[in-house]
Amino acid sequence: MVRSALATQGSRLNQGPRTGADYIPAATVVFGSMISLLPIVSATGWWPDWGLLMLVAWRLLRADAWPAWWAAPLGFVNDMIVGNPIGLSVALWAAMMIAMDILDRRTQWRDYWIEWGIAALFIALAELAQWRFAALMGASVPLGVTAGPAILVGVLSFPVAAFLAARIDRWRLGR
Amino acid sequence: MAASAGPRPGWSRRAQYSLFFSFLAVIAGLIVGLVLLILSLVAPQSYATVRGFALDLTAPISGALNEVTTTVTGLASGAGDYWDAASQNGELKRERAALMRRMVEARAILEENQQLKAALQLRERSGEAVAAGRVVGSSFESPRRFAIISVGSSDGVRIGMPVRAPEGLIGRVIDAGITASRVLLVSDRANIVPARILKGGQPVISTGRGDGTIDVRPLEVGKNPFRPGDIIVTSGTGGLYPPLVPIAKVIRLDDDGAVAIPIADPAQVSFAIVEPPYEPAALAAAASPDSEVP
Repeated sequence: MVRSALATQGSRLNQGPRTGADYIPAATVVFGSMISLLPIVSATGWWPDWGLLMLVAWRLLRADAWPAWWAAPLGFVNDMIVGNPIGLSVALWAAMMIAMDILDRRTQWRDYWIEWGIAALFIALAELAQWRFAALMGASVPLGVTAGPAILVGVLSFPVAAFLAARIDRWRLGR
Repeated sequence: MAASAGPRPGWSRRAQYSLFFSFLAVIAGLIVGLVLLILSLVAPQSYATVRGFALDLTAPISGALNEVTTTVTGLASGAGDYWDAASQNGELKRERAALMRRMVEARAILEENQQLKAALQLRERSGEAVAAGRVVGSSFESPRRFAIISVGSSDGVRIGMPVRAPEGLIGRVIDAGITASRVLLVSDRANIVPARILKGGQPVISTGRGDGTIDVRPLEVGKNPFRPGDIIVTSGTGGLYPPLVPIAKVIRLDDDGAVAIPIADPAQVSFAIVEPPYEPAALAAAASPDSEVP
C-alpha cells in the first residue's frame, strides 16, 4: 500500500529546487525586457513594459525573489535594451522595491484585487514617469495619446505576468 | 492570502545584517539611478558609447527574428497564392477592369505627378547614400518613436544623419552602434522638420504627434493653407535634411494646422537609406539631441 502510493507519486517526491533557482526570477525579468527586441515596427508605443510587469509580478508573489538591490542592475539592463533614458528604470525599480518593503510592513493581508491594484499603481507611475521624462527631453506628447492607453494595456496585461511568475515559481522550486 | 512580511531573518545575526545591507544597497541603487537619470537629461552625449554598445548587442537578435518573420510570412503568402489561384485570377481580372477606369481619373492628377517627378530628379542629384539597411525594430513600449536600423558606424553612419526610404523621409540617427543605429522617426514629438507644401510651396513646420501621425503648422499665421491630400516635403532649411523629400500626406485639418500621416511607413519600407547631412556643417548642430530645426 505504502509502496504503491510512493510509486505513483514518485516523480513528485525528493524534488528540490532546480539548479540556479535563485537566478530564475531575475532572468525572467531580463527576458521580459527583451520582448522589446521583437521585430515589431509599431506606430504607437502602447505595448506594455514586460520587464516591469515581470518585476512587479515577482515582487508581489514573493518578497525574497531576489535581494532588493538587484532591481537597480535589472533596471539598468532594461534601460539599455528598451532604449529609455538611462537611469529611469534604475531609479524607478529601486524605488518600487523600497515601496513594496514599506507596503509589506503596513498591510495585514492581500487578495488578488489588492495585488492588481498595487500593480496598476506601479504601472501607472512608471508610464507617467516615462511620459514626463519624454516631455523633459523635448517630446511633450499629450497624455491621452501615449501614456493613457499604455497604462490601460499594461494594467490589463498584468494578470498574465502574475500567472507566468506563479507558474515559473512552482517550476523552479520543483513543486 | 497573508502579506509576505519580507524575509524574516530570525535570530541569525548574519541573516539580519545581509537583509540590512540589501536595504542599504537598494537605497544606493535608487540614488545611482537618479544621478544617471539627471546625467542623461543634461548631458545625453555622455552615454553615446554605452547606448551604441547596447544596440550592437541587441540589434542582431531583432535582425534574426525579423529574418524569421519575413521568411515565414513569405512562405505563408506564397503558399496561399497557389492555394486559391483560380479565385485570385478572377479577382485580378475584376481589379484590372477597375484600374482601367481609374487610369482615366489618373490623367487628372498628371500635373501633380510631374511636380513629384521633378522632386525625384532633384533628390537623385543630391543623394549619395552613406549606407542602406533594414528597419529591424521599434520602440513599441515607449512614448517616444524610435526605430532600429541594421547599419551602424562601421558603415559610415554618424549621429545626426538623415534617414530616408525610397518612399520618403524616415527620420534621423540619434544613437549609432558599430552594426546598428537608432533612428528618431518623423512621428516623434522631438523631431521637428522644416518643410513646405509641395503644391504652392508655403513653408510649414512638421512635428511628430507620438501616435504615428504628424502635426503640420504653417510658419505664417493666417488662413489655414492645408487641404486634405496635400503632400508635405522637406524644404532643406537648416541644412540637415535634403530638400524635396516627401514627408507626409495631410489627412485632416484642425484649427490652425493639419494632421498628416507619414508617407514612408517604417513598418512597410523595404530599405532605410542613411544619407549625409545636406549641408555637412549641419551635422555638428544636429548632434545635440533636442536641437534641430530651421
